[in-house]
Amino acid sequence: MQLNKRQFLMGSAALAMAGRVGGARAANAISYWHHFTSQSEMTSLMKIIGSFQAANAGVAVTQENIPNSEYMAKVSSAVLTGGRPDTAMVIAERFADLTAMEGLIDLTERVNGWQGKANFPENRWTGLSSNGAIYAVPAFAFVDWMYYRADYFEEAGLAGPPTKFDEFLGACRKLTDPSKGRYAFGMRAGAGGFKYVIDVMEAFGSPIVKDGQPAIDRAAAVEAITFYSDLFLKEKVVPPSAPNDSYRQIMEGFRTGQTAMVWHHTGSLNEISAAMKQGNQFSTAPMPAGPKAHVARVAYAGNGIMKEDNIEAAWQWVSFWGQTDAALTLLEGTGYFPASAAALQDQRITGNPIYNAAVETLKFGRLPNNFVGAAGWSENVVNPAFQSVLTGQSTPEQAVDRMIQGLEAALR
Amino acid sequence: MIESKRRRRTVANIATYFVLAGLSMFCIGPMIWMLLTSLKYEADIVTQTMQYIPRRVTFDNYVAIWTQSGFPRLIGNSITVTFLTVTICVATGTLAAYAFSRFAFRGRTQLMLGYLVVRMFPAVMMIIPLYVVMRGVGLVDSRFGLALAYTSFLLPLFVWMLKGFFDSAPRELESAARIDGSTRLGAMVRIVMPLARNGLVASSVFIAIAAWNEFLFALMLTTGQGSRTWPVGLQLMVGEFQLPWGVLAAGGILSILPVVVLFAIVQRTMVQGLTAGAIKG
Amino acid sequence: MTSSSSRYLPLRALGELSETRYWMYLLLLPSLVMILLVIAYPTLYGMAISFRDMRLTRPGLDGWVGFKHYAGMWSDPVFWIALKNTVVWVTAAIVLELALGLLAATALNRDLPGTKIFAVLILLPYFLPNVVAGHMWALLLDPRLGVINDLLVRVGVLETYKAWFADPNTALAATVLVEAWHGFPFFALLLLAGLKSIPEDLYRAAAVDGAGVSAQLRLITLPMLKTVIAAAVILRVIGLVNSPDLLLILTGGGPGDATQVLSLYAFQTAYKEFNFGYASALSVVMFVILMIFAAAYIRLSRITKGEGDD
Repeated sequence: MQLNKRQFLMGSAALAMAGRVGGARAANAISYWHHFTSQSEMTSLMKIIGSFQAANAGVAVTQENIPNSEYMAKVSSAVLTGGRPDTAMVIAERFADLTAMEGLIDLTERVNGWQGKANFPENRWTGLSSNGAIYAVPAFAFVDWMYYRADYFEEAGLAGPPTKFDEFLGACRKLTDPSKGRYAFGMRAGAGGFKYVIDVMEAFGSPIVKDGQPAIDRAAAVEAITFYSDLFLKEKVVPPSAPNDSYRQIMEGFRTGQTAMVWHHTGSLNEISAAMKQGNQFSTAPMPAGPKAHVARVAYAGNGIMKEDNIEAAWQWVSFWGQTDAALTLLEGTGYFPASAAALQDQRITGNPIYNAAVETLKFGRLPNNFVGAAGWSENVVNPAFQSVLTGQSTPEQAVDRMIQGLEAALR
Repeated sequence: MIESKRRRRTVANIATYFVLAGLSMFCIGPMIWMLLTSLKYEADIVTQTMQYIPRRVTFDNYVAIWTQSGFPRLIGNSITVTFLTVTICVATGTLAAYAFSRFAFRGRTQLMLGYLVVRMFPAVMMIIPLYVVMRGVGLVDSRFGLALAYTSFLLPLFVWMLKGFFDSAPRELESAARIDGSTRLGAMVRIVMPLARNGLVASSVFIAIAAWNEFLFALMLTTGQGSRTWPVGLQLMVGEFQLPWGVLAAGGILSILPVVVLFAIVQRTMVQGLTAGAIKG
Repeated sequence: MTSSSSRYLPLRALGELSETRYWMYLLLLPSLVMILLVIAYPTLYGMAISFRDMRLTRPGLDGWVGFKHYAGMWSDPVFWIALKNTVVWVTAAIVLELALGLLAATALNRDLPGTKIFAVLILLPYFLPNVVAGHMWALLLDPRLGVINDLLVRVGVLETYKAWFADPNTALAATVLVEAWHGFPFFALLLLAGLKSIPEDLYRAAAVDGAGVSAQLRLITLPMLKTVIAAAVILRVIGLVNSPDLLLILTGGGPGDATQVLSLYAFQTAYKEFNFGYASALSVVMFVILMIFAAAYIRLSRITKGEGDD
């Protein structure tokens, strides 16, 4: 479902007014920090706020959107100085840091007494728990998968999407044709690229952290970095811009036909569907499996409570996100997968073949690494270390050593 | 001899026009591209074949930015913050600049350097403690608080620039007034201020532009729509899951307009002020 | 009548006060109070943090650690790279901005008919927020959608589109270009003002003595502009060293650490790793470097030598 701009604008204006009127009357106003930005995300959020306020007279939600890249900067200074919002969105990668800085309130008792809890299998809570205590209610999931150009695959005589890394490499070689300006794989090595570097390392059998201790297997990690960087350096099946390519660039590469495959999660489905036809032009598949493990992330994002002042209203709001209708509003608006198992049974998911790969991934996908300092290490160490291999400034061995050192410093 | 001189002048004139035209192209070329981008549909921006002149023109991007980002509110906040900053700087900085320019006193050089040192504190170091202070007095997330924060590093700039203008205002008139029995205060208000008026405007414009464009403090010290400024609002549109080139370009175009309007208003005074000599050579 | 005289009374008192020897200090008071109020505590606090362990994600870790962070910097390779990049980045940007600014100011100063409009056009980039300038240039130089690449390919300079920010050899240069574009009007404006204050007679006399354009530049223009240039340079250096926003948007310090500078490194250390102690130490080092630079520079150029004597 795509809203055009006018519909969006009218809708959000109406909702904004409704929200304001409600706010004036409401006994309770709670604030909600999040990093939704795009039109489709904001429209869905407004809808969810609207239906929440309709169902909970007397509670008004004031949403504050914060740039994603500066989200933790804002949250950490709020924690440090006491300017906390009532509730906030928490993605899995940031959960450990947020609880470590004592930014979230323990919700274990409330969750245990909540009837909606049964809708969420145990692994939904794992990523949002620390030392046995639950700190957030799962709302939606980022399910990693692969987008590929079905038409390019057909042209190259490939039967289907690759399922293993060696098939992936083979397909890459066939799909690349620099004379047409076409490359097989849109590698993300700019901002956020660390995610896939870590995935490949684990797929080659190197864990990152075990029992709170650094656990990188140097040999396996070097093998992984060599394989992954060779796609760019030796095989040249990746666009030359890769070291600075972030989400925006890999998507533009895919949409303009420069690349045939990109790795991302379900959240970009709507945007790609707007530019290309599902099925004929592009399709989706699970991530290929590495030699030692099949790695694809399923990261649950939830909503937590950051201060006690309005805790009853805040709890109503964060638990509202766990309901099927809210989850499906978000899915239809954006492509984010529901976290609730009940919502996954819904006809709107089971009846749409494009979601098969995501449903498949849910079976084997693993949670992201969850340790204090994970985000800082990934962004400030893994990213530059891998980039410097791509640009020839260091060898895979040096890069892995830097990652190990950085990890030790982060966990110390 | 005269012939060759004239020829040399003609060559110099042509070279001047050439340089000016080249620099202007360098300056506004990117902005023209931004303007063109803002009029294109998304599909015509993210495309394999470059479109120099948009084949179809749309104003959707402008409509989107006006409504979607809360543009009027953001611009309103930016104007308020800028206005407050300039007011505080002019009210307090003018006196300081005058003192530095006209009096020799102990510790003058050190104090002037002290003002400069204040400007050197890195923003990263300042933000958290500043936040704590602002919170203590209830100024977090307020436009006045943000203006105060700007003052901390713009006031020294203002004083330094304005001192230069005061230096170049002739002292003879002032001395004459003093001989006629005017107090120092009277001489300052009645004689020197009017003389340095243009310089005052020019310095204020520098401060205004800096406050208008500031990003880091604005990002960290404001949260709500009530006090968020325009650059922060603009950065917010660059989400993870969208490619808003057209909207972004429209925002860029709109963000120059108020400054250009302001500049058009004060341009005359400013040019005169500058002609009088900004920082005396 | 009485009311008006009583209203003037404080004014007269102020006038009398202006005759005392404390007058200049009174003039300085408001701005000093203003600055101290906003700056003093944050600065001391920020400096104090640099001697403490303060990691938000380790609430247990808290206490004085002396010079630990400073010692840590010594063996931190990223710090040295960032330091080197800061020097290169700032120097290159300043040189380019000064050269372009001087060129623009000299040309504008000739006051040829119709050149007023050029002055406005040349000033325009300065009006753009860093955020806008950064994103705009990201699009212009984009490896897929960038018009600059397209033009260079058409002209034949490039064979294919180049990813300027992905190659460590061009990334820093590209960011310098963006910074120069954005910052040179500041120089142009100040230098133009300086040029206007040079008496025409000097040039005429020099021309009579047979001095050429380059000799005039060397013997008259540059010496006369010395103070303006010195002040503009120092203000700009401070601004450039302290503000990470443009690089934050364009490259985030990459690829590798090719565009990592101190201000950005401090920002990332504080807000990605939440290691405020180390970030503060980095900031203090930046501050000290700036102080040393400013002190040396001011001594060399003597810009505070004022005309203040009453």
